Amino acid sequence: MSEPQSHSYVKYSSIFFALCICTVLSILFDVVDLRAHNLFGLNGVVLLSAGVLSIACAKALFVLIYFMHLKFEGKWKYVLLSPTIVLAMSLTVAITPDIGIHYYTNESPQIDYLEQAQQAALKDGPAKSAEKSHVE
Amino acid sequence: MSHDSHAPQYRMGLPIPHSKLGMWLFLATEIMFFSAFIGAYIVLRAGSPGWPTDAEVTHLRIWAGGLNTFVLILSSYFVVLALEGMKADNFAKARRYLGLTLLLACVFLGIKAYEYSGKFKYDILPGHIPETPQMAIDKSMREMKQVVDNRTMALSNSKPPVKDEPAKPDESVELAGVTDEKTEELAPPLEEQRQKLQAELSAADTSESRKKELTAYFDLDTKYRELNQKALDESITLPAMNQELETLKKNPEYGMFLAPVHHLQPIIYGNLFASVYFLLTGFHALHVIIGMILFVIVLLQGKRLSEKWNDYVENIGLYWHFVDLVWIFLFPLIYII
Repeated sequence: MSEPQSHSYVKYSSIFFALCICTVLSILFDVVDLRAHNLFGLNGVVLLSAGVLSIACAKALFVLIYFMHLKFEGKWKYVLLSPTIVLAMSLTVAITPDIGIHYYTNESPQIDYLEQAQQAALKDGPAKSAEKSHVE
Repeated sequence: MSHDSHAPQYRMGLPIPHSKLGMWLFLATEIMFFSAFIGAYIVLRAGSPGWPTDAEVTHLRIWAGGLNTFVLILSSYFVVLALEGMKADNFAKARRYLGLTLLLACVFLGIKAYEYSGKFKYDILPGHIPETPQMAIDKSMREMKQVVDNRTMALSNSKPPVKDEPAKPDESVELAGVTDEKTEELAPPLEEQRQKLQAELSAADTSESRKKELTAYFDLDTKYRELNQKALDESITLPAMNQELETLKKNPEYGMFLAPVHHLQPIIYGNLFASVYFLLTGFHALHVIIGMILFVIVLLQGKRLSEKWNDYVENIGLYWHFVDLVWIFLFPLIYII
């Protein structure tokens, strides 16, 4: 094989436990539910996304480096994977201005209804609006 | 995957087996494949204010997603142990862990199937979800009309009208007007059948049980027409319509027929959500199934498993870790954020 004995010192079980801990951490993010809070001047949703996606990246790196043995591979891994990852990320970035961020006025029945529902919820009182702004 | 250990293994190019290079190149294309969908999801989500996140609405169960994450991580760990077994010529260990991995893949698909069945039950399907209250009311009226029509046909003992597409569109003109077996089998229009049932109800020789059935049917029909009129006039609100439907469903005479009518729940961007959800998780599940086939191929070797299969097991291991990797991103993106 290509990496004779070189990875035998890696304790796969510790990687497995690290992955489990990361999963529990990301579930904790859901339990705490940062959506309603604004911490450090940042929107709760942004914080939540940043938190759980960093955990996901950490898990992905654990799997790539140890389970997929990238740590023990030659330099070819950079040649093969960096263009792919750059292209994959730039694809998302490239479609963001048109769809993710509306530089034009976004007119759709959903938006109209959302505004109506939010106004109705404000009339009914704040307790209901926080819970089900988009339902009924 | 076959190698003669005495021959010089790598003559030129990269110091890895060709099959492994092939697998890595394939995984690179897979990264592009999934990042197109994941990227589209992130962007659509960011551009759609009011995206459904409430678990009561989306019927996404965090415990199911979390459990599936754990199942895949554990299976990834087992694949690594299986590869270790292969390299140490401990083929029994390799078989054991590959078998466990296959089992965990089945567990993953089982939990996925449970989740999908919930989506089907609540009709959280692309193109089926009303996004405004009026759309929800219209949908319930369509569903109720279907129920009434089905009852009409059941009581008249006729088959539902078959919508036969002509084999060639240009032949349809010639076929029209020609009486053949197919056109004779078609059920008469529903309104005609309804009138026949009406006549049957008022006839003297109709049995009591049949009369009871027919009365229930006409009660339901009348209710449907009332509600439909209100829906057309837009004079009924969503909560009122839900209330009405709940009351009808409790009716001892015809309530059971109304089971296909769903509880009205408009979900803003629900269809987009359902499309993305099924696209992402469906393609991921497809990859799980392909991985299972790859595991079955090596398990079928049984005691014949030898070091010739080392590269194969390493390559399917890489593939399986990639499947795990995709889920690692799907779980927070779909279930948590």
